[in-house]
Amino acid sequence: MRLRATHVTRYLYAEPVSTCHTETRLAPRIRAGQIPMGHRFEVTPTPSFSATRVDYFGNQVISFSIEQPHRELVISSECEAAVHPAPPPNLSLSPAWEEVRDQVAGRATQDAFDAFQFVFESPLIRRGPEFAGYATECFEPGRRFLEGVNQLSEKIFKQFRYDTKATTVATPVEEALKSRSGVCQDFAHVMIACLRSLNLPARYVSGYIRSIAGVTGAEASHAWLSVWCPVFGWQDFDPTNKVMPQGDHITLAWGRDYSDVAPVKGVALGGGEQTIRVSVEVTEATQ
Amino acid sequence: MQRMPPPSPTLLDSQWRYEASEGFYDEVLEPEYRIRPQWATLSEALTAMGHQGMARRWQQGRRMVRDNGITYNVYSDPENTSRPWPLDPIPLILGQDEWKQIEAAVVQRATLFNSILADLYGPQRLLREGMLPPELVFPNPAFLRPCWGVEPPGGVFLHMYAADLARSPDGQWWVLADRTQAPSGAGYALENRLVTTRVLPDVFRTSHVRRLAHFFQSYRDALQALVPRNRENPRIVLLTPGPYNETYFEHAFLARYLGYTLVEGGDLTVRENRVFLKTLGGLLPVDAIVRRQDDYYCDPLELRSDSILGVPGLLQAARSGNVAIVNALGSGLAESPGYAAFLPGLCRNLLGEELKLPEVATWWCGQEGPLKYVADHLGSLVIKPAFPSARQNPIFGAALDEKERSALLDSVRAEPYRYVAQEQVALSTVPVWADGKLHPRHLVVRVFGVRSGDGYAVMPGGLTRISSSLNTLVVSIQSGGGSKDTWVLGDGPASPFTLLRPAAHPLDVSRATFDLSSRAADNLFWLGRYVERVEAAVRVVRSMLARVFQEDATRAEGISAGLAILSALGYLTTQRTAAAEAEVLAIIDSREAANGLIAHIHHVRRLAWLLRDRISLDAWMILNQLDQQFSSPPAAAEVSTGTSQDLLNHAIVTLSAFGGMVMEGMTRGDGWRFLDIGRRIERALQMTEILRAGLPPEQPAASGALETVLEIADSTITYRSRYLTSLHADLMLDLLLVDEANPRSIAFQLVRLREHIDELPASQNAIRRPEEARTALSLLTAVQLADVRELARHDGELRAALFERLVSDLTLLSDQITRAYFSHAARSRQLAAS
Repeated sequence: MRLRATHVTRYLYAEPVSTCHTETRLAPRIRAGQIPMGHRFEVTPTPSFSATRVDYFGNQVISFSIEQPHRELVISSECEAAVHPAPPPNLSLSPAWEEVRDQVAGRATQDAFDAFQFVFESPLIRRGPEFAGYATECFEPGRRFLEGVNQLSEKIFKQFRYDTKATTVATPVEEALKSRSGVCQDFAHVMIACLRSLNLPARYVSGYIRSIAGVTGAEASHAWLSVWCPVFGWQDFDPTNKVMPQGDHITLAWGRDYSDVAPVKGVALGGGEQTIRVSVEVTEATQ
Repeated sequence: MQRMPPPSPTLLDSQWRYEASEGFYDEVLEPEYRIRPQWATLSEALTAMGHQGMARRWQQGRRMVRDNGITYNVYSDPENTSRPWPLDPIPLILGQDEWKQIEAAVVQRATLFNSILADLYGPQRLLREGMLPPELVFPNPAFLRPCWGVEPPGGVFLHMYAADLARSPDGQWWVLADRTQAPSGAGYALENRLVTTRVLPDVFRTSHVRRLAHFFQSYRDALQALVPRNRENPRIVLLTPGPYNETYFEHAFLARYLGYTLVEGGDLTVRENRVFLKTLGGLLPVDAIVRRQDDYYCDPLELRSDSILGVPGLLQAARSGNVAIVNALGSGLAESPGYAAFLPGLCRNLLGEELKLPEVATWWCGQEGPLKYVADHLGSLVIKPAFPSARQNPIFGAALDEKERSALLDSVRAEPYRYVAQEQVALSTVPVWADGKLHPRHLVVRVFGVRSGDGYAVMPGGLTRISSSLNTLVVSIQSGGGSKDTWVLGDGPASPFTLLRPAAHPLDVSRATFDLSSRAADNLFWLGRYVERVEAAVRVVRSMLARVFQEDATRAEGISAGLAILSALGYLTTQRTAAAEAEVLAIIDSREAANGLIAHIHHVRRLAWLLRDRISLDAWMILNQLDQQFSSPPAAAEVSTGTSQDLLNHAIVTLSAFGGMVMEGMTRGDGWRFLDIGRRIERALQMTEILRAGLPPEQPAASGALETVLEIADSTITYRSRYLTSLHADLMLDLLLVDEANPRSIAFQLVRLREHIDELPASQNAIRRPEEARTALSLLTAVQLADVRELARHDGELRAALFERLVSDLTLLSDQITRAYFSHAARSRQLAAS
């Protein structure tokens, strides 16, 4: 299936902004099950400088700066990707979670080595006994790793309230766990914190989800997570929707947490009060 | 146990009674109580000069520390952040052969860490091949992912490197810590040298001590070789986190010494992917940045987003090779003590050599064997974080009880890779001079390496730090320790050397001295204003005190005019509560008042401190003295009019000296201009207030009041020489208001102001006069058109109106200049998350 996403971010300022430096991660990534089919990126007013690079995690970054006074900044990004839903893996065939933990710690293979850096704390995600405690029932001794992960995803889905007012980008992950509420970003951060607290590798994925009936998080950019398992490789889980992505998700970027992969981040000089309006629409593209 | 008396008493011993302590290596005395050869010259000199001679010399040294304002800041003390730099007059002396080993080891380590950083921020072969455990890199907050793949100019991550060295009882040197982020201390080492050579010039000369200047020449040359363009005459800035940083003094000192412009993040901006310095004349391209700010604060776009110290877009500019930043962003990653156990292997692997200087015994808990050792020997170890940015204090196992130890072990076991344990070295001792005696104290030396060609050059010397007592092995200036100059002896007399040397190619003649940032212009402007404000207050108070003892008919008039002036200037309330004398004396001792004289003097000192890289050392010393004169006045009870008058006379002389220094010594650039604009505005304002209060409307001018005003305005002699008659209000107004030749008159100030403002950048290319120029012109015209006879009339309505207008327009002018030139107020902020 081909998905098309249209993502418009609009900043309105009460006073003129004289300069603004911005960095975006809005181009779809190549990955198993996803082939990017084009990306159109437009900024008004016209940037006086822009550059493209690939970051440490392999994400494409477009950065730009605007050096004329402006009261409005519009970033529109439109992309298409062919997504091929892989057959759902048989979770019960995955190794015991302790084995995954030990393989990664022992960096047995190149892939395990690459997964190892996603075991540690990161700028927005602490590890701690409260997270390990929350995950314990999903990871009893000998439990199949992916089954445990899936159960944790369902547990969060069931116990957490999706609430756009409960948290902000600055809400610490401990807070989200305590209040059992938040948005997709908090769901992903909490689940990653739980897994890492058990020394299991998990990374944060940023992207979109198709707006279909019963789906949460389609009105803005979406986030979920990915875990690494020997033989199975990286497997995605979306605790906001209690699913393993099956062709309705577009992956833009991944990293340790939101701070590595924010779709848009920037620093503006001046501007006073700012208002942000974001619209995201994901539809099936006609071939 | 005391050592046996020496067989033949050495001179040092018999006169100075220095006794080393058992169990440590003493730098001066051999175990048989003989003096080590490199100390011979110094010990003979000490013997010759005796305690008293030393005390005299050191008094001079201490004064130099105070007068030069050599300070460091204490983070934990919000009240009084800057403390005098604790320096001990006795240097640490190291012999040639010993130094050669240290030198080679420091070069090797600098090279090694440079290679390690190049690998970690590139292919990460060391991690993949198991030469370095990834647990020491991936979780380290100093591993800045955005810096990965950024190749610094010339592949140089470390332009400067420093190692802290210590000596164990067997005489062996060990490395205690490595500094790769933004090593501090080289500037203090240089200051220590300047002071110590003043205290011991003779010994310094005859000892053939190696000089430090070459090191700083290498520093400049190496940096110049790294800049992407303008190699011959690059614009280099030294980026400081600001005046509250622990070592701000050093930042200002080094900027001045090396000829770089001292900037804060807010002074820089990135445009079209290049770094610029915001100056009054516009944006000037920056070719290289010496950063004394931790790397993660340097760019709020890509690094720590909560940093208000950073420059958005800086990392991208570095990534594109448009600016050289030293040390490279990300260099803090090499500072982990956890690397210790792996360095011998890394050194063999990367450099093909054996490690020349061992690290103090260190166990990284991320491995099972070392963790077990640490658990078994906790009582004799020091536990430290493996990632220094965690800023935890070291924990001494010996100081913990059973329960605390097991709690510590639990947290170590939970995340073992976060901890290292180190053996505590029984640090060597060196004599410290205190209370007329020499006492042994522990020491650590920081040695600096700087890039030079393809390798590194080592400063022949370093920053020696000493413990606060013999009982502590903690050597830290923050916790009460001190410092010493470090002498490395050479073969023969050192050649004199200066940093101003001929360039390889002729340079274009440059008239610009330093680029004036708008922040510096702002500070200069206010320095001018406060200096003038202080002078006016001092003059009024001084003339009041003289009046109090006057025994003639006009005494009462004079006093009441003076009191009115002091109230108008804001030093007294209008209600008289005590005798005039007591009230006036209280002004000198007004430490509590936020707007009192003392507060103004503190402002002067603070501004001068912020401008240390711009004003001359002499000018700084003058203003520093002024602050000291008023900071320790006689206690309130003892304030007698006589001592107070001395204090005020001193202050007038000091302020005049500053004024003279500014007129005679400062280059006539924008910096001088802003300082003078500040002075002129303030002097005009003060004079207006003095005239307004001294000549109140609806009263005939009392001759006692006129006399007081003339005296405050320092114009008595001029008046008397012009007019042999008695005092007349109109003649006085002519002299103090409209006479453009009298440097105290308001017109004189306004003429200067108009000239200055016409020279400023905004006036230069404008078709229409900018607002501040219009205000200055209209002020001058108003005064030039004034009719002093009319103004002097008793009802004084015209007079009041003119004074009112002068005050409000001068205030407006100050605001307009602030808006036009100093408005760096617009703060950058994060865009809301999408």
